Amino acid sequence: MVKEFERAGFPVVLMCNLLPVAQTVGVNRMVPTISIPYPLGDPSTTKEEQHALRKSRVGTALDSLATDIKKQTIFKVEI
Amino acid sequence: MKNVVCYINQFFAGVGGEDKADFEPEVKKTPAGPTGLINQQLKAADAQVVATVVCGDNFMSTHRDEAIERILKALDEVGEFDLFIAGPAFQAGRYGVACGEIGKAVAAKYHVPVITSMHPENPGVEMFKKEMYVMKGSHSAGSMKDDVTAMTKLAAKILKGEDILGPDAEGYFQRGIRHQVWLNPPVCAADRAIEMLLKKVNGEPYTSELNIPKKDLVPIADALKDLSHAKIAMATTGGIVPVDNPDKIQSASATRWGKYDVTGMDRLEGGVFKTIHAGFDPAAANADPNVIMPIDVMREFEKEGKIGSLHKYFYSTVGTGTTQGEAKRMAKEIIPFLEEDHVDGIIMTST
Amino acid sequence: MKLELGNFYVKDIVFGSETKYENGVLTVNKEECLDFVKKDPHITEADLRIVKPGDMVRLVPVKEAVECRVKLDGSPLFPGYTGEVTPCGNGTTYCLKNMSLLAVGRHWGGFQDGLIDMGGEGAKYTYYSQLKNLVLVADTDEDFEKREQQKKNRAIREAVHKLAEHIGSCLKGLEPEEVETFDLEAIIKRNPETEKLPSVVYVMQPQSQMEEGGYNDLCYGWDCNHMVPTLMHPNEILDGAMISGSFMPCSSKWSTYDFMNAPIIRALYKQHGKTINFLGVIMSNLNVALEQKDRSALFVAQIAKSLGADAAIVNEEGYGNPDADFTGCYVSLENAGVKVVGVTNECTGRDGKSDPLVSMDEKEDAIVSCGNVSELIDLPAMPEVIGELEALARDGLSGGWAGDEILGPSVRADGSIIMENNAMFCGDQAIGWSTKTMQEF
Repeated sequence: MVKEFERAGFPVVLMCNLLPVAQTVGVNRMVPTISIPYPLGDPSTTKEEQHALRKSRVGTALDSLATDIKKQTIFKVEI
Repeated sequence: MKNVVCYINQFFAGVGGEDKADFEPEVKKTPAGPTGLINQQLKAADAQVVATVVCGDNFMSTHRDEAIERILKALDEVGEFDLFIAGPAFQAGRYGVACGEIGKAVAAKYHVPVITSMHPENPGVEMFKKEMYVMKGSHSAGSMKDDVTAMTKLAAKILKGEDILGPDAEGYFQRGIRHQVWLNPPVCAADRAIEMLLKKVNGEPYTSELNIPKKDLVPIADALKDLSHAKIAMATTGGIVPVDNPDKIQSASATRWGKYDVTGMDRLEGGVFKTIHAGFDPAAANADPNVIMPIDVMREFEKEGKIGSLHKYFYSTVGTGTTQGEAKRMAKEIIPFLEEDHVDGIIMTST
Repeated sequence: MKLELGNFYVKDIVFGSETKYENGVLTVNKEECLDFVKKDPHITEADLRIVKPGDMVRLVPVKEAVECRVKLDGSPLFPGYTGEVTPCGNGTTYCLKNMSLLAVGRHWGGFQDGLIDMGGEGAKYTYYSQLKNLVLVADTDEDFEKREQQKKNRAIREAVHKLAEHIGSCLKGLEPEEVETFDLEAIIKRNPETEKLPSVVYVMQPQSQMEEGGYNDLCYGWDCNHMVPTLMHPNEILDGAMISGSFMPCSSKWSTYDFMNAPIIRALYKQHGKTINFLGVIMSNLNVALEQKDRSALFVAQIAKSLGADAAIVNEEGYGNPDADFTGCYVSLENAGVKVVGVTNECTGRDGKSDPLVSMDEKEDAIVSCGNVSELIDLPAMPEVIGELEALARDGLSGGWAGDEILGPSVRADGSIIMENNAMFCGDQAIGWSTKTMQEF
């Protein structure tokens, strides 16, 4: 789906855990998430920690949309 | 008696050369040019050419939609047919693409097998080899008989309901369609693995049973110039839906998607939204759907001015077991909504 | 480590007053065996059936297959699971060959369960249609998962593992028709001729993706999710160290019977000292998160390198997400200079047009392919069904569905079925039996 959006001209970023799968499929902008059942907030941590993680990673994803890239890129995350 | 319909261009129909390339589509009841040979060769398979479509190469390339529409309309009057043969197109680029375009449209409308033939360097090969049987053809019309014979040989097998043995054995380009078959004589996977291993380790040639396909990359979309004025849309394959799953999205092998209005919501509440994805433990996402669809932080970014605005809907389906064909179709159905609301960029989350 | 498997070839199975093996005929005392099974109070209903190749019988939902055996030293057949933790792979074990013991749900199935047709055109889709099978058909009081798509199937699975040993015990004191010896010298104490041959490890990736206990494959009773890859002697696997789990679409699964007979281990043994130097098995696993996958791949490559392996066979029990473990492991071995052949199945979709694996790398240049999980299969009704046919459509079996806009329900009113290969019991036989491959069309 990501590729179809991009083909239509939208800059698009995929937030996912299985980066090798995203790379195989041919996604251009990727931001890692922490797991499959809970990509953006580990339920064993506090609400505050989950929120901080989510805000940081979604922030990275937004920044990636405004970043020029030349090839498939995995953006580095802070937390 | 089986019926076959053929497609050729103005040149091979004897209408004329480049000067007649604007020739408008016409359906002839009698064979013309190479379709005479096709008709003759198919007799052995108890089949006949019942119609030959002729169209100028330029007309097809410049008025593609109109040409296809007119041809399909004319074919409705031909009556039922069992197979469609286009070309052979040799290395003629426009002709090859025309054969592919009309072949694809005929296959979609009438659900009949389509055969064409092109030289490996014809641009039509890459464009259409996944859509139909494209025989590995010759460089020029000097080899007309060879290329036609190759097509009718495959046509006869299809019409007689015989097993099609695959691209190498039958002489068509790989379509990227893979199905399971039983080896005859049977050799078990363990023995095949050891034989392959010995060859690989001893530097001898071997044939892998799965050739890794080339990565299909799309051109990278231009980055957003100004995030603070951009409208961002959210999408997910994590199956986040309202608790009653109003669009009945399947929990695996999904063919449906939904769009859900988040106007006035600061976050997705558990109990209002949930995940229907069958591929993982849903507990965390059901308790707090924002761990998959982070509407909460998107709203904060909107308030803080990091982004211009959040698109009013988020889009959701389930990624597990969903074929690439279905995923592609669903994305295409979503795109008009994004365009209509002037969305600038998309965040997709997956599980 | 030296394992002797004493084989008793079963020509027929019959019910009788005493469980015994005589002249190729296994007689089973049904009442006594059912009493044995019902010692677990969670088994609420149980029956035993006999099915043979060619019988026009459909079994569904099939949950497990085990080979009936007994160890002559008195240690449990499945250490850490049906008894205390004792070593496997050394000593003598007696086996009832040409037959398996199957576990079938009387009513309820799930994502991980499968179907077997013993005769007709559906028979070619499973290995078990070639065997004579003793079938335990049972129901349980595990109501907490009755309506769950993912089932642990604890009681029924444990029942057949215990019953396999119970029936196998009738072989004690008999003389086997054939004794197969599996003897592999210590890795650093092999004769110089063998050491000159290319050295090979077999990397197994058993299913272990569930975080919660009760679903994953077990190694000496230990959840494979909780281990890092380790070196095992191949005899251990042939002798009951590995137990199949209850997760993953069924055609991709390896049953306990599959582990006990692991064809790739047998094939490597056959070549040992002739064309290769078989070093052993690296028991890896399959994980959900990328970090876990990377960690396992790192361990596998390190162990292979430390052992001095020239080559490896990598084998995954699953598809989809586990393809990333398969590819990760394959690539890390190749990067360490180990030449790899991979054995897997594919998921190219019903139309055959999807990518064969969800994670691929151009370094994967030698793969043996065992089938397409999503191949559509349409089969006529069978005169007899053991279990409950409706389970295929109703209970979320990976290859069945309650309704489809185009295809209709998996189970039709006349008893005919339409399903994906996904629900064929251990159908892709990726453990090494598969005579299927994938072909371009």
